[in-house]
Amino acid sequence: MGVLAITGFGVVSPAGATAAELAGAVAAGRSTARAVEWPEVTLPTGTAHHLPEFSARAELGRRGTGFFDRRTGLAVVACGRAIEDAGLDIGEDGHRTGLVLGTTVGSAQAAVDYAAETFTEDPPYLVNPALFPNTVLNGAAGQAAIRFGLRGVNATVAGGPVALLSSLRYSANVFRTGQADVLLAGAVEEFTPHSAWLWAGLGGAGAPGEGAAVFVLRPAESLGHRPDAEILATAAGFCPSGEDRVYALADCARRALEQARVGAESVRTVASASGADEVAGWRARTELEGLLGVEGAEHLAAGELAGNSPSATPAVELALILARHRAEPARDGQIALLVASSPAGAVAAAVVRGWSRGDDRG
Amino acid sequence: MNRVFITGLGPISSIGVGSAAFESGLRSGHSGISPITSFDTAGFPKVLAGEVKAFRPETVLRRLDVKAWGRSSVFAAAGARLAVRDAGLSTDQAQPHRVAVVVGTTSGEAKITEEFGRALAEGGFPAVPPEVFEQLPADRLAAAASEELAVTGESITLATACSASNYALGYAYDLIRQGEADVVVSGGADSVCRWAHAGFLRLGAVADEACAPFDRDRSGMVTAEGGAMLVLESEDFVRARGASPYAEVLGYATNCDATHMVAPDAASIARCMRLAHANSGVRPDDVDYVCAHGTGTPANDATEAAALYETFGGAVPPVSSIKSMLGHAMGAASGFGAIASALALSRGFLPPTANWRSRDPEMAWLDPVPNKARAADVQVAQNNGFAFGGNNAIVMLGAV
Repeated sequence: MGVLAITGFGVVSPAGATAAELAGAVAAGRSTARAVEWPEVTLPTGTAHHLPEFSARAELGRRGTGFFDRRTGLAVVACGRAIEDAGLDIGEDGHRTGLVLGTTVGSAQAAVDYAAETFTEDPPYLVNPALFPNTVLNGAAGQAAIRFGLRGVNATVAGGPVALLSSLRYSANVFRTGQADVLLAGAVEEFTPHSAWLWAGLGGAGAPGEGAAVFVLRPAESLGHRPDAEILATAAGFCPSGEDRVYALADCARRALEQARVGAESVRTVASASGADEVAGWRARTELEGLLGVEGAEHLAAGELAGNSPSATPAVELALILARHRAEPARDGQIALLVASSPAGAVAAAVVRGWSRGDDRG
Repeated sequence: MNRVFITGLGPISSIGVGSAAFESGLRSGHSGISPITSFDTAGFPKVLAGEVKAFRPETVLRRLDVKAWGRSSVFAAAGARLAVRDAGLSTDQAQPHRVAVVVGTTSGEAKITEEFGRALAEGGFPAVPPEVFEQLPADRLAAAASEELAVTGESITLATACSASNYALGYAYDLIRQGEADVVVSGGADSVCRWAHAGFLRLGAVADEACAPFDRDRSGMVTAEGGAMLVLESEDFVRARGASPYAEVLGYATNCDATHMVAPDAASIARCMRLAHANSGVRPDDVDYVCAHGTGTPANDATEAAALYETFGGAVPPVSSIKSMLGHAMGAASGFGAIASALALSRGFLPPTANWRSRDPEMAWLDPVPNKARAADVQVAQNNGFAFGGNNAIVMLGAV
């Protein structure tokens, strides 16, 4: 598939909101985990990378946000920041502008509490109809489309840890087939008791977190200036049970590198923040790098810096890499390899080349 | 670029399991609607749904362990197995890495969500069984089908609500057309559940009794479930193995209303139809049949009819809603529409709109193929899918 250009990004994360804050967080290397409690609820964790101060209403105003679930608020704010960072003018006609958003289960809180109410209400069907659209997995993408007038492709990719890379691949296809000129693509995850229990139940390592990262994408050949980054290639596959997950990932990564015409020796950063799976473990990563012939690559501890969640962490990790590029022109042209796998078996990889912003783009 | 053909159908629906039973259900205008048994309906004012009742997935599945997967994943996997069998495709004919899976859904594992909610209401979070967490992620729908078929190509779940199967089929079509895969097993899956039934009730969207799309007195939809999977193959691959396709995928289009989460927008839907025609190289007067979104709610059907009238300049071909028979299977709905359209094209008949009694004066021009299947030469079919979030997706199919 064709090369994607990233022309801006927006993040909601404990690691920071602006590119400068995110780059600072990478440099400082501090964990953002803090003590967490929830009224009247048992949590499976004493610490979390959560954003108790985040409020969609405070960020976006009252209008249209009254029924937002938390995931929707995080996603819409990240979209807004990405649009601003890219200087994107959607205007009145958004027919050629779309959104591809990654998720795991949508808002677990919105759907599960809706289900729970049918067991506590009398009669049981007395749920709130205004909250019903929050229970579907594409609720956030629909609200973002309304907010910003995105009338083109509007896809929600339920991929968990693989959602970001699947969304990038899906986006590349949209451009290659001429279906849009600009896409917002990214992934989101909320922190609630539901998501914390889900994270623990999936065997996730590290404290759970929340956040969203959204990237503004265009076909690389359509761009008149240097982008923030290029997604040179993506590859995806599936590893059936009983087969070796690291081998399947290595196969994906090799295909992506080949398609990008990038040698393994050029890979300077390996991003593998998909903590709901064994691949996040350093041993698996070491084995993967050995199979590929990647040597001396850097790793960002995205889970520690920004919190752990199936779909948001890999997206925030890409934003951290791009923020570092923006802050350090010496890194211009460096290659990062992104890999991800889901407990259910999906595997994916992407090759990214990052740039700082020249004087013309501030 | 490769042409793309539909060679296998794997419907698991309230009107029949497998392509032969499904076709006979469509032809006879069979109703799959019955009182709900998958949850306790005490206290619910309306209790009908299109449940898949007489289906034992272990009789179809070869690899997947039913106990370890949620109901929607099992629908996807069993539908995939049925579709591959229907296509006469054996595993040694295709290279595993050239076979991809793309599945659409509205709510993913809705029954697991229901179980989570029940346990939470009864005993708090610590009472939630561990398998609920393991089985909840929605990417498991596509994974279940990939796992069942032991294929290693891309495996992706698209969750664009009730147009999700068309989104999935569109991406599947592109994967083959662009040479990324030889075979894609694609469609959708969803499960009837207590909380979505409650939600639609509270939206005032559920039918009083029968679901009667495009009828003057239509009163709403009926929730349903199932797996609607299809096998798509490249022309080269079909030729090489000498298979006979049901239909060709001509193209598709997607767009978003971006106006309202639940109320559809006729102008935006008409735009999606025009895009679908343009992307498929067909003119409106080429279209012989429209498999409607047709939920049976007053708002959907009026909006859909208005969009059709605008797009076709008043000369609208026959339009039927198979939801009158199956109910609204959510993310699987447009997959069932694609299967019905493929059968219409290959077998030469129009599936009916069941329960239709009175012409709606607001759409007096509309031919809903009332109550009885009709023999017809169908060369081009249009399969509509619309959704919460303003997500429209339309797939165009052609006769082979």
